[in-house]
Amino acid sequence: MSSSKKDKMIYIGIDLGTSRSVVSASNGNRKWVESYVGWPKDFVAKKMLGKRVLFGSEALDHRLALNLSRPLENGVIKEGTERDDAAVHELIGHLIELAGVGPDDEVCVAVGVPAEALKVNKIAIRNAVTDHAKKMMVVSEPFSVAYGLGTLDNAMIIDIGAGTVDFCIMHGTVPTEEDQRSLLVAGDYVDEQLMKLLTEKHPEADFSLNMVRRFKEKHGFVGEPKRRVKVEAPVDGKFTEFDITEEMRKACESPMPAIVETVIDLVANFDPEFQESVRKNIIVAGGGSQLSGLDSYLGEATRQFAPCTFTCISDPLYAGADGALELATDMPEEFLEKL
Amino acid sequence: MSRHSELKKAVLRSVYEDNAGIPRSGQDPRRTRHATVAPAPAPGSGYRNKVVLAVLLMVIALLGVNFRLVTVDGSGPVAKQVQDNQSSNLTTASLFLPDASEGEPALDKKRPADLEPARILKDSARVTSSHYDAMLASLGMPMADLFNLKVQTIVIDPGHGGIDPGATGQRGLKEKDVTLDIARRLRDKLAASGDYRVLLTREEDRKVFLKERVAFAKTSHADLFISIHINSLPPGAESVNYLETYYFGPHTDQRSLELAEKENRESDYAIGDFRGVIARIGDTLKTQESRDLADSIHRHLFSDLKRINHDLSDAGSKTGPFMVLLGVDVPSVLVEVSCISNKAEETRLGRPEYRDSVADFLKSGIVEYLERRSYPGTIQKGKTQYVVKQER
Repeated sequence: MSSSKKDKMIYIGIDLGTSRSVVSASNGNRKWVESYVGWPKDFVAKKMLGKRVLFGSEALDHRLALNLSRPLENGVIKEGTERDDAAVHELIGHLIELAGVGPDDEVCVAVGVPAEALKVNKIAIRNAVTDHAKKMMVVSEPFSVAYGLGTLDNAMIIDIGAGTVDFCIMHGTVPTEEDQRSLLVAGDYVDEQLMKLLTEKHPEADFSLNMVRRFKEKHGFVGEPKRRVKVEAPVDGKFTEFDITEEMRKACESPMPAIVETVIDLVANFDPEFQESVRKNIIVAGGGSQLSGLDSYLGEATRQFAPCTFTCISDPLYAGADGALELATDMPEEFLEKL
Repeated sequence: MSRHSELKKAVLRSVYEDNAGIPRSGQDPRRTRHATVAPAPAPGSGYRNKVVLAVLLMVIALLGVNFRLVTVDGSGPVAKQVQDNQSSNLTTASLFLPDASEGEPALDKKRPADLEPARILKDSARVTSSHYDAMLASLGMPMADLFNLKVQTIVIDPGHGGIDPGATGQRGLKEKDVTLDIARRLRDKLAASGDYRVLLTREEDRKVFLKERVAFAKTSHADLFISIHINSLPPGAESVNYLETYYFGPHTDQRSLELAEKENRESDYAIGDFRGVIARIGDTLKTQESRDLADSIHRHLFSDLKRINHDLSDAGSKTGPFMVLLGVDVPSVLVEVSCISNKAEETRLGRPEYRDSVADFLKSGIVEYLERRSYPGTIQKGKTQYVVKQER
């Protein structure tokens, strides 16, 4: 590939997540969409909505008229279900469209996916992308975050997503299976816990899972609360205020023991000479990193075993897509030619 | 060049190599598998239908239709005339070659073609279930081998799902998620050979009633049915972790009964259904094959898992009154892989590589069972080996 050809190419980084999917392009466009894809259930719905397929919040808003798919639930494409395969295909096409790519533009895409999906669905994802871009590569989300941050050696990335918490140790190469772990107690699990706690404490109130998710995203915290968490929910149709501070803390802390144990386990299994470096270089990414007080909570929780330093990244929404974009842009021509 | 640039270059090369190894579009093993799986067997090709066919063949054999017994060394057919069916002492001995010392059997003493239709009807009325029992008792080999019944479709049943999470570990890991993941991996590993059509009773996280699972196995013309579960023990027994494998039969201990009661919950079977299926308990072929399959899976899974999971105990391969096993007509087993109530085991089950190993070991057990069955029909009789050939 000549350098002029490379200059004309549009590079795209995609973070295909359970909850949100994000795109970052070399033309400066950066967009995100909730990872929902919906097709009108029948011709009436199609006529009403005026679209063949809907995405994100628009799909969620019209969910009653749609066959709705959240294709990466639990961090993997629900294998065998054609609808979810098709949803990934549509979602990637939509993200590339959001990146502002013209029909004649040559495109190179790097896609970051949950670690488990990389293992189980790598080929399905590749097939979904190849219809939209000739040059492409698939990597794990924590890896793309690490690449974007330049933490390629002796570092650990924890990507707290909706479906999974992915752990990955970086040591100067693409992480192998031994360098990675996944936990299923992630954002969706926290939502379920919070929903359960709120329903138990306030049976008179009508909470929905979407409401609870929004509460968590706005007020989620671990450790000591900085302020009381007060939300509104309908009781017999009338909006009423509830103090959910304690329930929020319990729900948000519910995955923490498993996270702490996995960190200690991964560090303990790393080369002893470099354990100290890794312990001081643990990056927390993903939507879950936005929980207030998370870095100090994890630091405190690991103190008695092996003191670790946790850093929550400043832009968790775009970190994965930006890292993937950087990866696509940096890929040498001789490699890109063959991808 | 700085160390960081060197590192970046090495990482980019790794990414390239990693991605260059992914098959191109159209080479997706999943898609390939779907495209190349044997078409759904036509009615009559399923295991159940083969059993019916086998029984019919037995009736014909008992009536005098010729089974040809051929020596393994290919020295040519040695026709064996079935003994006179008019005899009231019908036994299965007529199906076997006599020892070499007994000399050539008399040929053409009475050819089936010589039998008049009315005579056949008259004789068939004399064949009773005791004749089949006597024949099976004297076969000296699995009936499936005798009739060369082949396995084409394997149904894997991930336990629980949807609003029914099954057991939940102390850290929140749910049985339904683990069983589904292991089942998917097992499906991919088995289907990779291209020899079998492998199906799951649920492809996603949804509630499936036991009755639906059984119906799925039937409509899919399953030849083998493997149900995957994870055990959970009550508080106080969290330190215990064991593996057990079941095939249908009476419970062997109180714990098996309790476990079956737990797994049978929400079975959605009516009493009338139950009477229908309980009548099939004595299905000899299914029991023989289920036991062999359970033994093979259990042996492999335990010995291989024990190497990476030292605290695992062996609770054995045994019978238990599980509805899902009873309802399915074909060889079927239920594997309780390990105990999610054990904290360390829950951590292990949460790791993809551990679940992948479990799927690998399950596959080894199934493959061993299938390979053993791929050389069917060998009868050891005296010093001579014979293969039964069916006239088609």
